[in-house]
Amino acid sequence: MNRIAAAAAPLFMAVTLVAGQAQAADDIVIGVVYPLTGNAAPIGLDAKAAYETAADIINSTHAPIPVLMGNGGGLDRLGGAKIKLVFADSQNDPQKARAETERLITQEHAVAIVGSYTSATAVTISQVTERYEVPYMSADNSSPSLNQRGMKWFFRTSPHDEMFTQAMFQFFADEGAKTGHKVKSVALFYEDSIFGADSSNVQRKLAGENKMTIAADIKYRANSPSLSAEAQKLKAADADVILPSSYTSDAILILRAMNEIGYKPKAIMAQAAGFQESAFMTGAGALAEGAMSRSSFALDATASRPAIAPVNALYRARNDKDMNDNTSRDVTALFTLADAINRAGSAKPEDIRKALIATDIPGNLTVMPWAGVKFDETGQNVKGTPVIQQVTNGVYHTIWPFDVAVQPAVWDVK
Amino acid sequence: MTIETLLQVAVSGLLMGLIYALVAAGLSLIFGLMDVVNFAHGELMMVAMYAAFTLWQMSGLDPFILLPIVAALMFGLGVAIYRLLIARALSVRFNRGMVQIFVTFGLAIFIRGFMQFVYGGEFRSITGTWLANRTANIYGVYLPLPQVAASLVCLLAFAGLLAIGRTEFGRALEATREDREAVALIGIDRDRIFALGWGLGAATVGVAGVMLAGFYYISPNVGANFALIAYVTVALGGFGSMLGALAAGLLIGEVEAITAQLLEPSLKQVGMFAIYLAVLMFRPRGLFGKL
Amino acid sequence: MVPSITRRRRRELVIAAVLLAVLIVLPLPIHDVYTRNLFIITLLFAGLAQAWNILGGYCGQISLGHSLYFGIGAYVSTLMFVNGHIPPPVGMIAGGLVAAAGALLVGWPVFRLSGHYYAIATVVVQEIGYLLALNWDLIGGASGVFIPFRGESWLNLQFRTDKLPYFYVALGFAAVTWAVAWWLEGARLGFSWRAVKDDVVAARSLGVRVFRSKMAAAALSGFFTGVGGAIFAQYVGYIDPDSILSGQLAILIALPAVLGGVGTLWGPFLGAAVLIPLREVSSSYLGASGNGFDLMLYGILIMAVALLRPQGLASLGAVFRRNANGAP
Repeated sequence: MNRIAAAAAPLFMAVTLVAGQAQAADDIVIGVVYPLTGNAAPIGLDAKAAYETAADIINSTHAPIPVLMGNGGGLDRLGGAKIKLVFADSQNDPQKARAETERLITQEHAVAIVGSYTSATAVTISQVTERYEVPYMSADNSSPSLNQRGMKWFFRTSPHDEMFTQAMFQFFADEGAKTGHKVKSVALFYEDSIFGADSSNVQRKLAGENKMTIAADIKYRANSPSLSAEAQKLKAADADVILPSSYTSDAILILRAMNEIGYKPKAIMAQAAGFQESAFMTGAGALAEGAMSRSSFALDATASRPAIAPVNALYRARNDKDMNDNTSRDVTALFTLADAINRAGSAKPEDIRKALIATDIPGNLTVMPWAGVKFDETGQNVKGTPVIQQVTNGVYHTIWPFDVAVQPAVWDVK
Repeated sequence: MTIETLLQVAVSGLLMGLIYALVAAGLSLIFGLMDVVNFAHGELMMVAMYAAFTLWQMSGLDPFILLPIVAALMFGLGVAIYRLLIARALSVRFNRGMVQIFVTFGLAIFIRGFMQFVYGGEFRSITGTWLANRTANIYGVYLPLPQVAASLVCLLAFAGLLAIGRTEFGRALEATREDREAVALIGIDRDRIFALGWGLGAATVGVAGVMLAGFYYISPNVGANFALIAYVTVALGGFGSMLGALAAGLLIGEVEAITAQLLEPSLKQVGMFAIYLAVLMFRPRGLFGKL
Repeated sequence: MVPSITRRRRRELVIAAVLLAVLIVLPLPIHDVYTRNLFIITLLFAGLAQAWNILGGYCGQISLGHSLYFGIGAYVSTLMFVNGHIPPPVGMIAGGLVAAAGALLVGWPVFRLSGHYYAIATVVVQEIGYLLALNWDLIGGASGVFIPFRGESWLNLQFRTDKLPYFYVALGFAAVTWAVAWWLEGARLGFSWRAVKDDVVAARSLGVRVFRSKMAAAALSGFFTGVGGAIFAQYVGYIDPDSILSGQLAILIALPAVLGGVGTLWGPFLGAAVLIPLREVSSSYLGASGNGFDLMLYGILIMAVALLRPQGLASLGAVFRRNANGAP
């Protein structure tokens, strides 16, 4: 035992040391839990840059940016207190996410937690925050079941997959009414983890409700060495629209695999994720041309959202790429949370929760094309209205809703 | 299913199977020589992919031209790994089997962390090469040219490996494999042969990595996608057998393609694993393994 | 010969009792949740590594697919609790039994293989289990199973924020696996395993039923791994194939035993006491930078221990004893 204790002692000293340093005078500590190592690490690292950008905008002194908390100088109702972010690596492991959340709350004294990209980690994080009575702001988890567990401390600024998928089918209907282009059949193509399962379940349901044929229903193994057999099945089905729910690696691979067997699909409508990543645009290159995707963000909506340009410039300076579907949601979550803490005028979790419940932010004070941010009794933002975008010349352009669209949809891109 | 689809499935399986075979060949070579399963094999492939990526970025040259350079680099890396780690792992007196498993396993984790440190976790792709995204249409069956090229290189590499077996070095390899102690008596430096064997094994998987980089994405975790299949391929073919690796690779590629057509694609690996287990029931040392 | 063995065995029992007593009071003055969590995870993996050690160490069958039994135990107990309202202490035993049955089912074909063929076959069987669980919607598929909070109680094995009860559950689990290993070292079964491990042919000629004794090791090992899985599931409150059936987890179950010393009584515990805190703390404080440092450190650690102390950390104890006794 002595030997064990001796071996463990320096570790625990390190723990106390780091914890000690975290306690600066008036800082408001917010814990941020993301996968920072492993397969999902690129997403987590982008998220980290996004949160740092947002915290910087809130904390530092600069010319006002027309966004919530965009005046800088910290939280004015808390005597200019600064937001201090403490990041933790979930390794995309639910056990790890749970332990790290506990650590952030008990050791770092985080007054709220933000996270977490993957659904499995969101489940255990929200479980911990519920037990410790600390708000959890879900920035980019899109699983529809997360807010259905009767939790008091769960808040989600992002729309979920059901809202996203409804937007897709609404777009099909609107396009049909406007241009006469009808979508009669769809092919589901989804990865075998929780994201693909959630997304495809909603798509299957809505396709049925909209009287569309499901020409193919393909569940594939994520990170497969090859997707050529899957591409073969998609080719055989040749649906009007392929609906992929894929992360970056598979998104690149399936477009290449379809091309390899000489198949150019009539249309692709992605459940964002990999299709909205910059690595996908590089990897797929010309093959991505014409692909459509839902998005919670529209980089080109600068006319109605004046904050996009300055916020994106700051993010670019930090991470050398434009904000996307995920990172924009991360920025928005932190702005919303900081605003609630500021309105509460207190760093007590219960006060923050009350302020979050009272949140009602108009869309033009965010960087999102949404109607705004307002939480229902399950903690879900009901004003997060998604957009549909399409790749032309290697860049996503918004094509729906028609009032924020910058160009019309193009079908049958060859 | 039309005849075109059937042929297309067969062709896809064949092209992928050759890649699997080449990835497995290096693993099998090292095992046959010194009874070591390299659990960092997938990571060596990943290193080769990044090497190709970096050289391509710096020079703008096609991976085809870079192939010999990367293979040479990988050869050096293989020798270095042998000298620094494996030679020591082989010299331990206790739990040798366990030590070599976990040394290579630790190496795999280290390489993954190191590549994330150097390149970040971002997915990379080599784009705009001669063959990128090109296909040939032969009577309705499409042949993706990057894969076809990769397959040809695989076959060449196999021919090369078999040719090496006929040289003096090859005979020394064979002799070392047959009887590790006796070779010392006839003046063969066992340590040197082992080092060269590692170099050759790493160069082989390096060739596979470069060809793969022509149509696959690159990330620190990409090795894991291929590693398990490589182990299954080697065990199915029989540890140490080059022909076994080739045959098993092709079999696995075809089984994968056919399972994906007949069953749910998410279960296609179950198909290849089931075939593997079934074969091992009858041949516990693989198709071409010495009983 | 015989008396010295029994004296050694008695001494081990005394050391274990003292250690147990220390561990029972150890968490009382420590209120930090993170540290307590660290203790729990370490004890859990100490027990799991000891369970692995029964098959991998004493019997010499290097299984790299033990997360399969871990997952079976976790799924059985969780589904019984969530759907059948059967308390986890019962579900835990049921999970262990099903896992043991699974280990026998796997062992039947796989034990014909030897060496690396065996090791890779265990990985493949685990991978098949993972893929089937991922595609089996009846047990939650990829979405996993969420364990609802049904009130703080020992019967439910659920506690709002208190970590202490879990600590004692994990401690009890580790203690039982140790006791089983201790018993096996003196029992007939243990001797026949060591014979199988050292030389199969010789064992057979000594009248050891090789296949049967491997099967017994698999069942025992599978049972305790399954129980560990069930405890883990109840502790975390959520299971999905990625977190409880993965190949990564299978390695993590074997690793402490390998680092500490395979086929030794204290090796798995020592390995877990070093490896698990190091892994957890390094990923907590280095992982957040996202630059891969924690992975590099973890990798170097595994290589270093494997090379520098191939017989495991437990052998350090022998070195100390030798020096103290002044005899080689």
